[in-house]
Amino acid sequence: MERETVLQVNDLHLHFKTYSGVVQALRGVSFELKKGETLAIVGESGSGKSVTTKAITRLLSQNAMILRGSAMFKGTDLLSLPEPEISKIRGNQISLVFQDPLSALDPVMKIGRQITETLIINKKMPYKAAKEKALELMDSVGIPNPAKRFNEYPFQFSGGMRQRIVIAIALSCDPEILICDEPTTALDVTIQSQILDLIKAMQKKKDLSVIYITHDLGVVANVADRVCVMYAGKILEVGTVMDIFYNPRHPYTWSLLSSMPSLESKSEDKLMVIPGAPPNMLHPPSGDAFASRNRYAMKIDFEREPPLFKVSDTHYAATWLMHPNAPKFELPEELRARFADRMGGVVPPKGGAL
Amino acid sequence: MLGYILKRLLALVITLFLIISICFFVIRIIPGAVAGEGALPEIRVALEKRYHLDLPLWDQYMVFLRNFVTFDFGESISLYARTPVFNVISGKIPLTLQLNLFSLLFTIPVGMILGIISVLKKNSALDHTISLLVIFFISVPSFIFGAVLQYVFAFKLQLFPILLNLESRWSFKTFWSMILPILALSFYGIATIARYLRAELFEALNSEYMLLSKAKGLSQAQSTARHAIRNSFIPLCNVIVPMFTNLLGGSLVVENIFGIPGLGSLIPRSITVADYYLTIATLFFYTIIGLISMLLVDLSYSLVDPRIRMGGGKVRE
Repeated sequence: MERETVLQVNDLHLHFKTYSGVVQALRGVSFELKKGETLAIVGESGSGKSVTTKAITRLLSQNAMILRGSAMFKGTDLLSLPEPEISKIRGNQISLVFQDPLSALDPVMKIGRQITETLIINKKMPYKAAKEKALELMDSVGIPNPAKRFNEYPFQFSGGMRQRIVIAIALSCDPEILICDEPTTALDVTIQSQILDLIKAMQKKKDLSVIYITHDLGVVANVADRVCVMYAGKILEVGTVMDIFYNPRHPYTWSLLSSMPSLESKSEDKLMVIPGAPPNMLHPPSGDAFASRNRYAMKIDFEREPPLFKVSDTHYAATWLMHPNAPKFELPEELRARFADRMGGVVPPKGGAL
Repeated sequence: MLGYILKRLLALVITLFLIISICFFVIRIIPGAVAGEGALPEIRVALEKRYHLDLPLWDQYMVFLRNFVTFDFGESISLYARTPVFNVISGKIPLTLQLNLFSLLFTIPVGMILGIISVLKKNSALDHTISLLVIFFISVPSFIFGAVLQYVFAFKLQLFPILLNLESRWSFKTFWSMILPILALSFYGIATIARYLRAELFEALNSEYMLLSKAKGLSQAQSTARHAIRNSFIPLCNVIVPMFTNLLGGSLVVENIFGIPGLGSLIPRSITVADYYLTIATLFFYTIIGLISMLLVDLSYSLVDPRIRMGGGKVRE
């Protein structure tokens, strides 16, 4: 079944003016989000994941400049909307959940009022109805005894509980798109899975489209339908979660996957690391940004940027290795083995046409 | 909370006792006598007897303490001879209070508006101008402003009277004559508030909860008014609350410049003529204002910030 597209981002270019020069944070990001799906955006710190979503919701700092590109949502370009219009969309139709629940709530305002505030301002609800709805929301995100906790302050809540409140706030106006910007990074592991389950349950209940930003591939495998792999302000590979985990095509995706420990890793095993550091975005390299850290790089990778090559209808990768004239070679055997045991023994199809 | 206030009040009484005791002895060390040098011996003896100055110092101290406990602060010796000092001070309070209240009503809003403007227009020409003014207002003492304002607006331009109008308290004429002293008294406070608010509000505006608030669908103005301002007020208590209590204090030099018979000049005048009881009572008055203001600062923190009000130990899973 072909689902309708709710958000279409096209060729997004974004720069930050800083004292040391212009940082080219996004260099042509395009992706689409379909109704009801979860799109994970993965990448290292500084690859532009958060900036992408902040650009879509226009929550960028003052020194950001959107050079070109569009983000089409219901026939309007979010990037060119005037501020009052976009603030009507934020919270109403597109909601966000941030990384650090400890600092995301106003420390001197009661929890209840922070939830009702959205309803009163966005939906023009009278206070009584808003309070009822807020109690309902608190209950649905798993806050025990909401009537009592309604009148408490954020400092009386634990981190996991605060993230539940942030999710309740995000869902209060029944948005269509929920953007989760590393919502579990600041939480400990047991709470992490509770929050992931909560987001999944909420998504199912309300048929939400979710953009999930993370650098945790475990989380991606757990929640995502489709995955975008970002590096140095570009999307290098996009595909379904099966495509990315079983048939990765970009050397960067290979490296990411192999640098993740598996349950079978022994403590004396050395974790694979990606050599070098991400490029300085003040002066991004001219070819494939990953080339200098890529042991499969060819000469052309240093000279020309690879376009997105089509692997299948759902799967695209931006690497010259996909070019018909590129030398054919297999996915390295060690990676295949690693993927296999991570995926619970399912061996990826050999010779995935590389 | 109540226990805390009681504890603080007890500490306040002890501090007060220590301070007036020290004052009592220090003032006696200052040279000078109640009866001037050329006074007749009979007059001196009579004066010393009336004010218990013939007793040994320790006994004087005991008498003084006993009287103090019954709120008998003694009589003024020379400045307002035979008037109870309590009456002297309380007679001066209304004018000082009125003047300083007007000054605060001017200071707080103007300071806050300047602070907010300079944050919202950060690094613009307007912000730089305000910052420059702030430095100017903080570094130049109020009596210079008093003198300059008086010279320019009252003496040269003759827009305002030179001295305070003392005929009636509530006439427009009186208010008009108060404008210059009010301005002179306000500049420092305005600058302090603007400066504090700029720093605090800037931090609040860049906080995560502001981001969430905007993500919730609130406009920049709504987020600022509902979240940022209140959060940036917490440290501002430290500056504003003492301003309220200092209302009663008065300013020595500004009062002198504009001929205001306020509280500010009482201490130096009483010290120079060895008016012991008046000096101590005035010092006592200032001390109590200072201590109460510190208590209020601490209490006001807990009003604005629930984290302080409720204490730390109530976090639950």
